[in-house]
Formats: sequence, structure tokens, C-alpha cells
Amino acid sequence: MTTFEAVIGLETHIQLNTTTKIFCACKADSWNDPPNSNICPVCSGMPGVLPVLNKAAVEKGVLLAQAMHAEIRPLSYFDRKNYFYPDLPKGYQISQYDQALAFGGYLELPMPATPERPAYTRLVKIHKLHLEEDAGKTKNAGGRRLIDFNRCGVPLVEMVTEPDLRSADEAAQYLIRLRQLLRWLGVSDGDMEKGQLRCDANVSIRPAGSDYLNPKTEIKNVNSIENVRDAIAKEIERQIREVEAGRRIQAWTLEFDEEAGVLRKMRSKETEADYRYFREPDLLPLRVDPAWKSAILADMPELPLERRQRFVDEYGLPEYDADILTSERSLSDYFEQTVRAYGGDPKRVSNYLMNDVLRMLNEAGKTAAELRLTPAYLAEIIQLVDAGTVNTSTGKSLLQKVEESAKPPRVIVEEEGLAKVSDDAVIREVCWQVLEENPNEVMTYKAGKATLIAWFVGQVMRKMRGKADPTLARQILEELLK
Amino acid sequence: MELCDTPAYELSLLLRQKRISAVEILESCLRRVAQVDGRPGELEPGPLTAEDEQKVHAFITLTPERALAQAREVDRKLAAGEDPGPLAGVPFTVKDIFTVRGTPSTAASKILANFSAPYSATPVERMEAAGALMLGKVNLDEFTYGSSSESSAFQPSPRNPWNPARVPGGSSGGSTASVAAGEAPLSLGTDTAGSVRQPAAFCGVVGLKPTYGRVSRYGLIAFGSSLDCPGPVARNVVDAALMLQTIAGPDPRDSTAANVPVPDYLASLEEGVRGLRIGLSPDYFRITYPDPASGEYGQQPLPAEIETAVRRAAEVLAGLGAEIIDDVPMPNTRYGVPAYFVVSRVEAASNLHRYDGVKYGYRTSHPVGDLSELYRRTRNEGFGLQPKLRILMGMYVSAAQYSAQYYQRALKVRSLIRRDFEQVFDPRGKYRLDALLTPTTPTTAFRIGAVYGDSVLMQYADQLTVPANHAGVPGISLPGGLDADGLPIGIQLLGADFSEALLLRIGRIFELATENEPWRKIRPLVLRATENDG
Amino acid sequence: MSDSISRQTFDHLVGLAALELDEEQAAYLLRELNHQLKAIHELEAIPLDDSTPITSHGVPYTAQTSPPPREDDWRPHPVPDEIIAQAPENQGGYIVVPDIPHTTLE
Repeated sequence: MTTFEAVIGLETHIQLNTTTKIFCACKADSWNDPPNSNICPVCSGMPGVLPVLNKAAVEKGVLLAQAMHAEIRPLSYFDRKNYFYPDLPKGYQISQYDQALAFGGYLELPMPATPERPAYTRLVKIHKLHLEEDAGKTKNAGGRRLIDFNRCGVPLVEMVTEPDLRSADEAAQYLIRLRQLLRWLGVSDGDMEKGQLRCDANVSIRPAGSDYLNPKTEIKNVNSIENVRDAIAKEIERQIREVEAGRRIQAWTLEFDEEAGVLRKMRSKETEADYRYFREPDLLPLRVDPAWKSAILADMPELPLERRQRFVDEYGLPEYDADILTSERSLSDYFEQTVRAYGGDPKRVSNYLMNDVLRMLNEAGKTAAELRLTPAYLAEIIQLVDAGTVNTSTGKSLLQKVEESAKPPRVIVEEEGLAKVSDDAVIREVCWQVLEENPNEVMTYKAGKATLIAWFVGQVMRKMRGKADPTLARQILEELLK
Repeated sequence: MELCDTPAYELSLLLRQKRISAVEILESCLRRVAQVDGRPGELEPGPLTAEDEQKVHAFITLTPERALAQAREVDRKLAAGEDPGPLAGVPFTVKDIFTVRGTPSTAASKILANFSAPYSATPVERMEAAGALMLGKVNLDEFTYGSSSESSAFQPSPRNPWNPARVPGGSSGGSTASVAAGEAPLSLGTDTAGSVRQPAAFCGVVGLKPTYGRVSRYGLIAFGSSLDCPGPVARNVVDAALMLQTIAGPDPRDSTAANVPVPDYLASLEEGVRGLRIGLSPDYFRITYPDPASGEYGQQPLPAEIETAVRRAAEVLAGLGAEIIDDVPMPNTRYGVPAYFVVSRVEAASNLHRYDGVKYGYRTSHPVGDLSELYRRTRNEGFGLQPKLRILMGMYVSAAQYSAQYYQRALKVRSLIRRDFEQVFDPRGKYRLDALLTPTTPTTAFRIGAVYGDSVLMQYADQLTVPANHAGVPGISLPGGLDADGLPIGIQLLGADFSEALLLRIGRIFELATENEPWRKIRPLVLRATENDG
Repeated sequence: MSDSISRQTFDHLVGLAALELDEEQAAYLLRELNHQLKAIHELEAIPLDDSTPITSHGVPYTAQTSPPPREDDWRPHPVPDEIIAQAPENQGGYIVVPDIPHTTLE
């Protein structure tokens, strides 16, 4: 029986998080605004008005293009894409057609190992990257359509991949990595549920190992990464069933019904669309000259996958740690700042972050940069533990105390008397008390239940509010119980 | 001379000397409007009366209250010793293709008849900021699509003040008719293929098409966005310079408004033409024209009267010290109209997409089943034939399968037309011209109804003006005499990019040198009638 | 190279243009289109090659004469309501249109 492989290409639309729209000075973000409250003559397509390009949209587009390793054109052009739809008030969309901002480029997808196969990396090539304006929104209301232009003119980057993806998981991984990159660069919040990142998938199948392309279907309107994965997986299964049943795949457009979890066919258009692209005469060619480009790229951070590799090479972190610590830019910055302030083993810092700080972040819904527990304070806490000034559990409780009070760890240790007690005489005194207060347990211990020693240590620690050196307490107790 | 016939620069002076008031100027203009204009254009005009046929009909919307409020403000400022602005108290009309906040902005189309823009076009805003009085919105060909102003959805369409049986030209026919008839000293027009210069020639006034990008297009309801130029219409060159000074310059709302400093056009106006090289081209003394009967294309010389007027102007300028260079080749002139048939239509079709009955303007009152029916009915009922013709041609020549054959080719031809100008204006080239002197139009004003309907013949009225739009260079049409029928002949000066100051300077000395010629003393027919009224 | 626009092509264009025409208009427009097309065919006499550049605006814009891009500063339009008030039908801040011909579920 033939085995099939999937051939998948993704077309993504990314809303750039500029302050204003791409061609007018209206606010770009209309989340929760009343309909048509964030519009002007330009974005609502009134007669006689003209688009004026937003500098920040270009800058963010250039940053993204560079991060995708794409080639940026020093001179690119805007074009009109003409069609009638009520969410498109001018009757054309200003987009970039044949001479777009950037072309080429790629994204590397590290695919983690699964029980079935080892880890591998998929290289996804980018066909084209261009700037354009978003359209408005329409909604149904009892046989009529209500139109809201608030979203008209929000800057978009459209990015189209080559058909390089081979599974639904890879498609999902692409979106995960893309979203990570968008946030890392600060060019988009990349929230699919809010439509800041949108994805159409072109899916076809072919016998594994062959190199031709079969007719594809296009899946539209999927609004989460999980749903993209589901929709593609279902479509691959459907295509395999069809082909195995001897039927041909038709070039349908499909829509994913989230609630039912099924794909539905959209009615095919009567005629093939002809957008009659031509140069937008209201805008001049977009010049990204070397000076501007280098000014934009001066803000270019180290990219997540590069940083991930460096964490492995430079700090000796396991890949697993490096991956998590570079999932988000401010977390990875936080890690490095802490390592620098700490000066000791980076893995020790990683452990604190992975075990404790990440949980704090999740619970508080904060980014690492927003913590009051600064990298310097975290380094100080680890140093206090290392030096034996506080024990490990006090160290962990300090994390929360610093976050709540924003006080330096040493100040809290002093104010609350949290320093570890290593004075033999003091601990010995408390040990005597514990043994005197618990004669039954002493008898049981002496009768041979040696595991009770931990209980005695616990009692000592409790009396000393955790400050005792537990190793020393154990030694003393064992000695006294002999 | 009545105030309404007085040049703008003189009005400005008299006003500053407090010899007249802005309200007096306005009243004089309104009296003239009442005498000669007749009823304004409207969507349902009823039959044309004999009286209608004697009137100018420049206006769609007259705004006397707005102008009066502005006039009073100017007078108040003068009384208070404040600066009222360089065009204080000077009335002007606005081609109704510009948006003006607080007035209907119709584009002379049913589809925008009820549209009122919540913003003013930049050149209008600058005129009003300079103290000029906005007298009203004047008629034009629907969406500027024509060369006679007859295609307006608002009828009666404007008539030529020199002979009301003739067209005023177009599409800025309302602008040039209003200025020629003394209804206002200035008007704001637009020129996409000659729409300021051609009607200026027909109406015996000065019409300036500035360099593309010299004047902001913000608020200009678009036709061919890469060709459209707002431009002044005036009765003399000084007034045109004054107006250009006011409206020119960069605009943060128009990305194509060039970042080029605006020179002082008045400062150099009187410097004369000594040493300037002015060219004459045989390619502007003939037209390539489709024979109306056979449709075959052939070359014909221009009417002798028109060529003579241009050659006489050349002699005048030579007498003032200019060097006249003959036989300057402009070989691609003949391709201006065919290329324009493609380029302007592609842009127009796209620009007209937005009129769909959804957001503003006309919507069909017929019940519709779905949105696409709403689109079709609205656009069918709202657009006249000329917009429909441009939409369909634009759709055809930019369709994916035809674009290379037509649209891409036309854009290359546009480069060739541009190259003609670059070569003759090149300061290190063979010709090193400062300006090219040509006729503005192949004919004088034609009879109403004579050409209308034949869209090809109509377009060829722009054959001598449209190359400048393709190339983006500036051009000015000046009155150059009258033909045997007593109709004005226009002569045109074309210059290099941003050479408006030079063109105005040549025009000014020509105007001074010919000011005592007999034809300069003849007034438009409709005004001769008012003289008899007293 | 096609010499004229056929009635079939014409009808297709009318659909694309979201127009509908009565027969008299259609006849006039088709005739005029073909007259214009004849004029346009004059362009084919001109020798052109790939080296001939295309012109988007007649006047070339240099880096110096091109206005700089807009700074990303929010300046809200003072009266968005006036924009919506122009719509032939509006309701609760929305512009209203009839339903869109079905392009969705089957």
C-alpha cells in the first residue's frame, strides 16, 4: 500500500503592533472599541483622500524580514488589488505585488523527539513577505450585513511559505515558532484568538518520496494553533481516504467549523478572481536606504534559535533548559542577567528559573521583565543559599518575599532573622527540649524505628522556624539518642 | 471697470489701501453671477429654455453666505490692523471635484450628488487661509471625464462666455467660464489631460497646470491619480502666480506632494525673456486624428489661425530678446492620447470602485435581493455614460491577460513621451530649451453637441496638452488672440519640472507686450450684453 | 492580438465592473470602447523593448524630493460620526448592507 506524505504551505497575515494604522493616523488597535469609532476619511475610503505610509510599519516589517533571513529590497512598491467587498471601503486593497518589501528567507523548526522518531529540524522557506492594509469586519444580522471599518488599515505583513511543511505538527510548530519570533521582535502580539496572527493552509498529499505537487485545498478561517493542527490533520486524512477510494482531490476552499471540529467546503467562486493589480499611484516607491536599514537593524536582537544554541554552548545548559529559557525574550534576558550577577554555575540559575520563577510568572501573568524580583536579587538569593547563610527552603521562600516587598533579600533575611543557625550549642539546646517533650517517640526510636530521626529533625526545624542547619541538627540528634 | 472684472492683485492692493472692502468685491461678483450665470446645474433640469442658452451656468452650488462671512472677517481684520492674508477679499470658485467641508461635493455625478465631505481639499484650505472668498462649486464633466463639460449630470452644463452656443471646454469648464465671465477673478481647476489648459484656451483665460506633485491632491476626487494636477485659472498671469504661490508646496496628507521648496513666483515675474531659449516643434503643429467617417488615422495640420497665433507669439518673444529654436522634435506627442486611453482608464476604473452605495452618496431606491445587486443597480443608476466607459476600458486593459499588451506598454510609451521633454530641456543637450511654445488646442471652442458622444474625437481635443500630464511637466495656456469667429485661441508654454516661475515670467512679458493689441480689448459676448444693461 | 472587444468579453467586463446596462447603453459603450481600442492600437507601432523603463509618475521622485514617511503618532479624526452619517443605511454605529451572496457553507 502506498504511503503518503503531506505537502503544506502556510499563508500568514500578521498584524503589526504599531500605534497607528498603516496609511492614516487612526489608532491601530480597536479591541473593545465601539464599531466605526476609530476611523477617518482615509481608512473609510472617502473620496479625494490619500494614504500616507506609517514609518513604524515599515520598520517592523523590515525587522521581521531580517529575522526571517529574507532579502530586503532597497526599493519596493505598493500596488492596488481591486475587488468589491463591503469590508474594503476603497474597492481596492493597498498591498505589494511583484516588488514587495522582501523575498526569500526561511524559518528553522526544531521538531522535538517523540516516541516514534528522533528530533529533527525542518527548514521552511519563505516565498514572499509584503506589507498591506487590513480590511474591516462584517457580521450577519438577520439577512443583512453590518459593517465595521475599525480594522481597516491596520498594518499587516503577509508572509507566504513554500510548500515545505510535511505534517500537521510541523504546521503547528511553524506557527508556534513564528509567534515566538513576533513577540521576541516586538513587532506583533501574535494572538490568533484576537486575529493578530491569521493563517490559511494549502494542503495536498503525494506518495512519499515523489517530487510533484497534486491539487491542493485551501483551509481558511482557523483561529488557533491547535485548530490549525486539527484542521490540517483531518484534511490529510480525508485526502488519503479520497485517493485510496480512487477519487481525485478537487481544489476546494474549506472552512474549519471549530465547534463541530469539521471542515466544510465553501462554495466555489463563479469566476476566477482577477484583481487587476497595478502600481498604487498615490504612494511613492518605498525606499529603505542603507542608512535607514541599519538604523532599524540596530534594534535587531539575537534571535531565539541562535540564543538557544548559545545557551547550550556558552552555559552548558541541556537543550531542554535552553529551549524553555529562550521561549520568550525577556525570560532569556532575565536568565543571562542573573547568570552575570551570580557568577556561579548557570545551570543552578536555570534550575531556579525553571522550577520556581516560571511558576511565579505564570501565576502572576507577568513577563520576566516585570518582576520585582530582579535578576540581581535572584542572584543574591542563590548566593545566600550557596554560602549557607540561609537554607534551601528559606531561599525559596525568599523569592516570593522579595517579589512581594521589592526589598533586597539580605534586608529581609536580617529583618526576619532568617539566617541559618549553625551554632552547635543553640541547636543542641533545642534538640534536648524536643527529646524531653517526646518521650514516647524516643522510646519507639530506641526500639529500632530509625526512620523517626527525620521526624525529630522536623520538630527541631519547626521550633527554630526553619533556621537550623538540618545536617547539624541530625548529627546532634543521632548523638543524643545513642 | 467693475470690481468683479478687476485683477486679483489689484483688488488686493485696493483692499489694503482701504479704498474698497471685501464685502464690496463680493457683492460685485454676486451681481455679475446674477446677471450672466442663469440657473445652476441640477439633476432634474427640465427642458432647456431660450434664456438658458444665453447664460453661462458655471455653478452647481453657489455659497454666498460662506463667502460673505469670509468677506466680513477680512474687513474686520483690516479694520483691526491684522494681516488678512495675501489673497484677502479675492473671490474664487472651486471645480466641484474638490471636497469643501460644509458644501456638497458632487463631482458632477448623480452618485455623489448628496455627498458632503467632512474635510476640505488642501488647495481650498490654503486659499481660504490666505483670505480668499469661496464663492461656490462650479460645474465640470462628470468626474472630469470630458473636454467640454457637457457630460455633467448637473444640467444645464456650462457655456462659453464668448459664445454661449459653444462649449467652454473641459473638464474645468465651470472654472474657466466663471473667470472669463467675471464671476470671480480666480478658480481652482484640475488638469489630468489638459482640463485646465484646454478650457482656459477656449474661454480666453490663463490656465496653469503645475508640475505633478507641486500642488497637493488631498481632497481632489481622483480621476487618473498619477496624472491629476490641481491648477489655477485666472484672467492674467500675475493672478495665476499669486494663486499658485498660495496653493503650492508639500502637504503631509499627500505623499506625492513633492518635497521641493516653493520659489517666490512674483519676485521673478518681471524679469523678461532676454537670453531664454524657446522652442517650436512641428509635432505640435499637426495632429494625428481619426477620420470621423472612416475611423482611419491620418495626420492633419492645425487650422492656420492657430498656428499663426503661436508663430506671432514667438515673434513677440523674439522681439523681447528670446532666442526662438525651430524644428524641435517631439516625436512621441502623437502617442499621448492613445497612451492616455490606457493609463487614465486603469486608474479611473480603480478610483471609481469605491462608489457602491454602501458608505456615502447615491444608493438605488429599488429593492434588491443581495449586495451584488445593490452594487450593480446603484452604479448603473448613479454613473453616467462617461464614467461607465472609463470603468470598462480600465477593466479591459488591466485584466491579467491584457495588461502586458496594453497597460505595461502604455507605461513604457509614457517614458518615451517623458524622454522627449527631458531631451529638449536638457541643459547639456542639443536644444537646451527653457520652454516650448505650442498651441494649446487643435481647435477653438466647438459647438455644443458637435463632438459630445464621440468619445474618441472628444479625447483628441487634449492631444496637445496630454503629453505634459504623462511627463509630469508644467504647462500654461495663455490667451493668444481671437479667430475669425471671435473665439479665443490659446497658446501654451511647456517647461521642465518645477519651472513654473519661468513659464509665468514668459507669460507675463507676453501679456504686457500684447496688452494694447486690438483683440485684448474685446470682451466675451455675455459681458457685452451686460454693458448694454448698464 | 485581438482587434476588438467582443460582446461576450464586454458582458464579462460589465459584470466585473459591478454594472448592469440597458441595451442602448451597452451598444453605445461597446462601440465607443472599440473606437478607443483602435486608437490604443496605434501604440503597437512603437518599437519597445525590455530596456524601456515604465513610468508610474511622470516626474521622477528622488530620495530628496520624496516626502518622509509619517511618524507613528495617533491623531484621532475629530468626527467619525460624520463619516458614518453619510451612509445610506446605518444602525448602532454600523453601516448596513443587504446580505452577501452565499460564499460559505454548503
